[in-house]
Amino acid sequence: MTYQKPIPLKDQDNQAYWDAADKHELVLQKCNDCGTFSQPPGPTCANCGSANVGWEKMGNDVQATVYSYVVSYRPFLPGFQDELPTIIALAQLDRVPEVKIMGNILNCDEQDVQIGMPVQMTWVDITEDRALPQWQPVTN
Amino acid sequence: MGTIKDRYAIVGVGESERSRKSGTTPLHLALDAANAAIKDAGLKATDIDGFMNYNEGDSCTSHQLATYLGVRPKYVKDIQGGGASTEMLIADAAALIEAGQLNTVLIYRSLNGSSGTRVGRGYDPDMLQGALAGGSFVIPYGSASPSQWFGMYAMRHMHETGTTKEHLGHVCLSFYEHAQRNPKAFLHGKPLTMENYLATPDISSPFNIHDSCLELDEGNALIVTSAENAKNCTSRPVYIMGMSARQCHPHAHYWNDIDQVASDYVAKELYENAGVTPEDIDVAAIYDCFSWVVLRQLEAYGFAKRGEAGEFVAQGNLKMGGKLPTNTAGGMLSEGYTHGMNNAIEIVRQLRHDYEGTDRQVEHCKIGICTGWAGPDIAGAMILRN
Repeated sequence: MTYQKPIPLKDQDNQAYWDAADKHELVLQKCNDCGTFSQPPGPTCANCGSANVGWEKMGNDVQATVYSYVVSYRPFLPGFQDELPTIIALAQLDRVPEVKIMGNILNCDEQDVQIGMPVQMTWVDITEDRALPQWQPVTN
Repeated sequence: MGTIKDRYAIVGVGESERSRKSGTTPLHLALDAANAAIKDAGLKATDIDGFMNYNEGDSCTSHQLATYLGVRPKYVKDIQGGGASTEMLIADAAALIEAGQLNTVLIYRSLNGSSGTRVGRGYDPDMLQGALAGGSFVIPYGSASPSQWFGMYAMRHMHETGTTKEHLGHVCLSFYEHAQRNPKAFLHGKPLTMENYLATPDISSPFNIHDSCLELDEGNALIVTSAENAKNCTSRPVYIMGMSARQCHPHAHYWNDIDQVASDYVAKELYENAGVTPEDIDVAAIYDCFSWVVLRQLEAYGFAKRGEAGEFVAQGNLKMGGKLPTNTAGGMLSEGYTHGMNNAIEIVRQLRHDYEGTDRQVEHCKIGICTGWAGPDIAGAMILRN
């Protein structure tokens, strides 16, 4: 069964992020001039406009808390019709609180999701060479 | 923009039939709306020398519309845009008239929004990833509908302020109540109770179908000219006191920074230009693509303190007889949906006292506000008077 959902498109501005994701790691774009992290990444720093931007490695142990979410009961894109409802969340990184990353919260009942709940990043292999960062509840 | 105060007016408004399936093209709908607005103003089509529209690739061009009105216009302009574009194009029209380029401008929005291209549906996902800033960080997660994007904002705001689902429901109930007095409202004859509202399952939490605007086939048009030219019109002019045509959120990636919205930045300039305060406003048209968007704007435009908009609405203040009768034709939640222009048309009619002697008229209203919301990242608004 081939993967039906949209696969993240790599472009010159986000390539490093998705290349790292394929290796189950998180990297974030950071401005070398003003120190601001940008997520989503872009051609220049969205804070000061500097083109002097680089990438900072965050590794594969990424902890965060749910900042906001929606529970989506309808599929607005192909591939989601078989996994409804879908929880879509913005999670705020513990290490870099100014960065929030969107993902689905996997292995979580929609009744259980709430703002402030701790989650950790997990990577789902979606094709032979691509992986998608996702969130899952922190289990003790 | 402060210098234009009271020097430009909306002199004609009109709309086509609205339906789920028009059976005709956006050009036909635009012609119906334009002819209605021209008649309303008491003008001839050839008095119009500028035509403008906003669309999402789902309309006819201004040049086509002018052609089939039998006009050879000096100026046409078609922009890509949704909410807040009504205000932006009115500001552009005033600027072009001010510069001596044009005399009278017709602005329209026409779409088969139900039977044709539907917002947030039917797009190629890979195209969407490229078209949206940072699209590859949201589309793979199934987030492609405004209900999901704005729901994310709403959920955080509700968490922070204590605003409840019932508060969202009161926005819907207020506007549905107005639609019951408007025979042309799409949901005329379909009143809503809180019990029904709360029993309706969510589409994208916290929104159910009642929290979401209608998708319809519809054309709207309005005509802008100078206060001097307005004397040649048979309609009662509604003057523009102030505008903040289009102001942007400081960060374009609105799925990352969800605490502030562009409307927060519009309000200050708007009231300064118009020389009034929120207490002076008698009637409102608040952009209502979703119920929560109304609550957030009531805060942004100073009608309620942060966290108190829900209670403001629950007290009935958006209804006839309330402190701020809002979207008195039913709004986009229950009248029709043309990315804000139908709300702008209604506030013009209220300020002209077109409904005098009926239960649809906001009594003695003199000053109104009309807000646009192109998403949390871009907003525009105007204050009008009779």
